[in-house]
Amino acid sequence: MKPFNPFSLTVSVPPHRHCGVTVRSRMLIILLAMVPAAAMAVTQYGIAGFRVMALSMATAVLTEIVCDKFMGRESQISDLHAMFVGLAFAFLLPASAPWWLVTIGSASSIILGKMMFGGLGGSPFCAPLIGWALCRISWPAFMDIDATMLTMDLVYPLAQLKNFGLQAVTATDAQALFLGKQLGGLGVVQIAGVLMGGLVLVMRKHISSIIPVGVIAGVIITAGLFNMIDPEVYAPPVFHLLTGSTIFGAFFLATDGPSSPNRQIPMLLFGMLVGIMIIIIRVYGIYPDGVPFAILLANLFTPVFERIRPRSFGKR
Amino acid sequence: MNTHETHSTLTQAEMPLMRHCPLVTCGQEVKRGERIATSSTPGMGDIHTPVAGKVAHVDTFRIRIDANGDEQVDPVSLDDLSGSNLLITLLELGADLPQVNTTETLIINGVDAEQGVLTRQELFISSRATLERGLKTAVALYNPQTTVLAALKGTAQTLDGANTVDISEQYPSGLDPMVALAVTGREAPENTVVIGLETLFQLGRIMETGLPIMETMITVGKEGKIVSLGTPVGQILDEAGEVIADRDRIVLGGVLRGAAAASPSHGVGRDTSAVALVNNPAPVAQDAPCVGCGECVRKCPARLDPSMITSYAEFGMYDKAAAEDVDVCFECGLCGFFCIARRPMLQYIRLAKNELALAQAQSGEEV
Repeated sequence: MKPFNPFSLTVSVPPHRHCGVTVRSRMLIILLAMVPAAAMAVTQYGIAGFRVMALSMATAVLTEIVCDKFMGRESQISDLHAMFVGLAFAFLLPASAPWWLVTIGSASSIILGKMMFGGLGGSPFCAPLIGWALCRISWPAFMDIDATMLTMDLVYPLAQLKNFGLQAVTATDAQALFLGKQLGGLGVVQIAGVLMGGLVLVMRKHISSIIPVGVIAGVIITAGLFNMIDPEVYAPPVFHLLTGSTIFGAFFLATDGPSSPNRQIPMLLFGMLVGIMIIIIRVYGIYPDGVPFAILLANLFTPVFERIRPRSFGKR
Repeated sequence: MNTHETHSTLTQAEMPLMRHCPLVTCGQEVKRGERIATSSTPGMGDIHTPVAGKVAHVDTFRIRIDANGDEQVDPVSLDDLSGSNLLITLLELGADLPQVNTTETLIINGVDAEQGVLTRQELFISSRATLERGLKTAVALYNPQTTVLAALKGTAQTLDGANTVDISEQYPSGLDPMVALAVTGREAPENTVVIGLETLFQLGRIMETGLPIMETMITVGKEGKIVSLGTPVGQILDEAGEVIADRDRIVLGGVLRGAAAASPSHGVGRDTSAVALVNNPAPVAQDAPCVGCGECVRKCPARLDPSMITSYAEFGMYDKAAAEDVDVCFECGLCGFFCIARRPMLQYIRLAKNELALAQAQSGEEV
């Protein structure tokens, strides 16, 4: 536009300065925080792991573009949220997942978990978990980590625990588990990388520490209680923290903004509920890793937790 | 004080109106200090021209006067007035005085709430005698049991006849409701009046001169400056050596709450605390949906849910915004500062409040 003579002023509403964080910059930092775990996954599974992550991210972005076209709205893919959804979904899959499973899961994460509710901010669920749940229920054989990863010499400790009891678990060395020497979702079991990324997000204040603390506390308390009842049958808390997607769920999935509460006390209760549900599903449920369903269930409780709120300033 | 110097250089004055009714018409000759608009809001003072001359423009939002000559109104004698007579006269002379029945605590807010504004700090330095005269008048008007000066921690400011209470410099501690909380220990306390230090200064000037308010202290750059009301903001920036470029913003007040001037001829009003040039051409806010990150909820000092309030306001559901206690909001602007979607949070809140006030006024008229 040609400038008016001698100048035209910009008239805008306050604020006239901003903290600088945008949706895009936050998503970019979350994606960067997932890079260590992704790199560890590629080291462990090679091109197979890379294939799943790349396909899932590409599908998520393309699906969002198509949805925007159908919905007749300006595309928001530049905010990078679709990339996050794609990568988080891939993190939950076994490295051996077939291409159609990755595509269907990633696309349904975006369609059913995000765009159906009007885009980012509308969904009551953490988007990647919607795709995961759909695939887990529709194609259990392909999502079964043990059955599809027989070629690897690693074991899936949570399946051993579920199917054969605590005595049968062979991977109990905490250090090996921490470094990702276990089977599970290809990215989520890279505990060291996931934890590093999560702590960076907390320190840079991109996620609140309350929800991860709540999840971890919920897991430690509940698993500790079971372990106290019978240490021969129930695994100790540290085993539950270091296996499956507990840490990834605590830092990256449960902290998803729109599907989790916003105030301190509801956030803590929400985190605790996730932690408690993880252990209850792992002990009594049919799924070895309870994290995705635990978070989806807790998402449903978010509006209830949100009702716990302080009195407004000066209201008596 | 170099106030007279400032007046002599004024060729045009533009007086911004805040729901005032204009009393003059175009082409009318006015004396300096003549009342040109009367307030329609309780507790808000009238508006007077700071220059003698001819009325050039009148509309709902402004009255513009071309300076010419130096005729001035006669000073009013205030010495024998007291109580409600004094209050009415002061309002007519342009003082903004909140109206209450009983006052237990009178709080003088001497804290510049927003970063970069030093208007009140400068008033302590330049106009102590005027402030103390103003405080005496305020105490006579409100007859409070206790009078408190809220001052920035570490500055050790005092005024005769008032206890000093330290206020943290952490925003938004310096806003009136937060100051009232710090002083009384209660949120939204009853029978408490908070008045800004600039109101005290204006009261003091009226008492000293017997003339209506025609000047105010503003912050320009890193210093305070007493300017004539109605001074065009463009002229103030020119004198400060700032060069206005295309797409710049002229901000009246602090960066979190201030309004942007639509033209360089926009005049300084009594409520203008600062004039600043913001060089960033892009506005901060944009039309975007809430992404539900919850930053505003955690940052809100009034413990509200700005994300829900602004979403309701966005879709015209003002009754729902009222149910979320939008009236409690004291407009600190932090929600918009931290909004990662860059929504115009404060604007939505003001829209909801305004629509609710309009609806209430209308239903009141019908009854």
